[in-house]
Amino acid sequence: MSALLGLTNGLGAVNAALLTLGRRLGAFCVALMVVAILLQVFFRYVLSSALPWPEEAARFLMLWMAGLMAPTAFRRGGFVSIEMLVRFLPRRPAALLTILLLLLSLAVLVIGLQIGWSETTGLGGRFATDSLSVPNSLDLSTWVKVPKAWMMASLVVGLGLLISVCVELILRATATLFGQEARLVLIADAAVMGSE
Amino acid sequence: MLSFFLPLFLVLLLLGLPVFFGLIAAPAILLWMNGQTRDIVLLYRNIYNGMDSFPLMAIPFFMLAGEVMNRSNITLRLVEFSQAMIGHLRGGLAHVNVLSSMLFAGLSGSAVADVSALGSMLIPAMEKQGYTRSFAAAVTAASSIIGPIIPPSGIMIIYAYVMGESVAALFLAGIVPGIMIGGGLMLLIHFMADHYDLPAATRRATWGERGQASLKAIWPLMTPVIILGGILGGVFTPTEAAAIAVGYSTLIGLFVMRTLQWSDLPDVLTRAGMTSAVVLLLVGAAMAFKTVASLSHTPELLASIILGLSDNPLILLFLINILLFIVGMFLDAGPAIIILGPILGPIFTSLGVDSVHFAIIMAVNLTVGLLTPPMGLVLFVTSSVSGLRVETIARATLPFLAVEVLVIFLITYFPALSLTVPRIFGFVH
Repeated sequence: MSALLGLTNGLGAVNAALLTLGRRLGAFCVALMVVAILLQVFFRYVLSSALPWPEEAARFLMLWMAGLMAPTAFRRGGFVSIEMLVRFLPRRPAALLTILLLLLSLAVLVIGLQIGWSETTGLGGRFATDSLSVPNSLDLSTWVKVPKAWMMASLVVGLGLLISVCVELILRATATLFGQEARLVLIADAAVMGSE
Repeated sequence: MLSFFLPLFLVLLLLGLPVFFGLIAAPAILLWMNGQTRDIVLLYRNIYNGMDSFPLMAIPFFMLAGEVMNRSNITLRLVEFSQAMIGHLRGGLAHVNVLSSMLFAGLSGSAVADVSALGSMLIPAMEKQGYTRSFAAAVTAASSIIGPIIPPSGIMIIYAYVMGESVAALFLAGIVPGIMIGGGLMLLIHFMADHYDLPAATRRATWGERGQASLKAIWPLMTPVIILGGILGGVFTPTEAAAIAVGYSTLIGLFVMRTLQWSDLPDVLTRAGMTSAVVLLLVGAAMAFKTVASLSHTPELLASIILGLSDNPLILLFLINILLFIVGMFLDAGPAIIILGPILGPIFTSLGVDSVHFAIIMAVNLTVGLLTPPMGLVLFVTSSVSGLRVETIARATLPFLAVEVLVIFLITYFPALSLTVPRIFGFVH
């Protein structure tokens, strides 16, 4: 049992650290998205010279924001679900049901990661984005187009983090099944989430 | 076989699987059992394609604008403005609560933001003036649902994207129903004020005080003008308008009102980003779900079942309102719209119901569902803000809920209530 608790709390610590980094990068992405779109509006309406890249850059950043920040929401219980049955059941059956549901979620994520990885590293990922370029020399004299794979990788990273969180949640539910929930390190409370 | 994906989805949902996973697992399991493994790849590809959208970006931006305004204490100025205008009425603070919600709805598109911002300020203030805490909480909860109905609105953006509608048309169509809910609640408070002997009026503000309160509130009150004016004037897209709302509220908060600190920004960005990330994943999964829904001919099957009940659209609209109300008791408005919109929308438009009208019926009904137990998001937030039990608030909310149900039926049977404003601006013909 102590091995299970050690593994759970250890993975929890790794996830907490990774997700803190994810949240910070995600918040940075949100700020850059706003700047990109404000620049777009400024150049189009004030200078009458539309920039080609802000819209695609903002979409790029939004996908990364989702990939980097959604795993924190999942870990804090912020994914919308109807939890009445789990709340209604006694502790052990509730933990067992939670484990089964998390295993199904894990299957969804693992298949998603497999498909996402093959799409990102496959032909689709090699196409260039329409307007995004990065310098490939230190003196900024030559630029190359950003491949779509860089954008698609946001979901691969997101799915990877979600899998790690899902495994941690399965381990936590297993510890709860054996009545060890008091020895688990607490996860910070979920903020209320949704478009409402 | 594929048509079983909807019952399977419902079973998984009731067992407690998060909506996001259910939207993928249910169709994927049946596609796998059917041997259509290629379509599973398509399903996942559509999640990504569904999320990769410029119009959807309005969601994180409007959320961020709401967060910034909340943090800048803009709410306080709106409350002071409302207090100066109608605080002298009997039941004054209850009226102020509703009016502030209506004004706040023009800045943010979220009921949760409304409850958190106004509830923490107005519930204690109302209690101090002699209202019971449950009444104060009920007024706050009931009026907060105006947030996603009066534009801007996160729910309307999602509906517009998933169903291919115009965001501007839905925004405009929400104005009258939102005002009707606010007006209805204030009318009820007026009657309750005499019946339940609500605290007597405070002193009427002088015109000078009113002018001062208006001046202080002018900056936040300009936000809806900029958003709607920009979109309707064809100057900005809704996403650009949302980004401008962020820029505007940040500048006002940092430099004009000086109530926002630079150090507030990381937290504000994180909160908006995290909430939007969940919504984006859900919308992506919903777009994938929609593809399988059409592959399986489920809408046609459901249409024949629904049309078998009656061919009178008026009766069907009544029944669908009851269905939506029940769904709203168990599911939040966003996910419910994402799941049911693509299935129910086409059925009713084929019956001759205007697609914008149907969108408003769905959006208002499901938003009111945020107030109904057992799964009422607004009830939960009000409970945490007021320290009261969910059941207590739910009971105290009942008279207000009755008014809102009445408004739902009015907008259902009088399409002009929602369609006139978008028609004036040429969005509905």
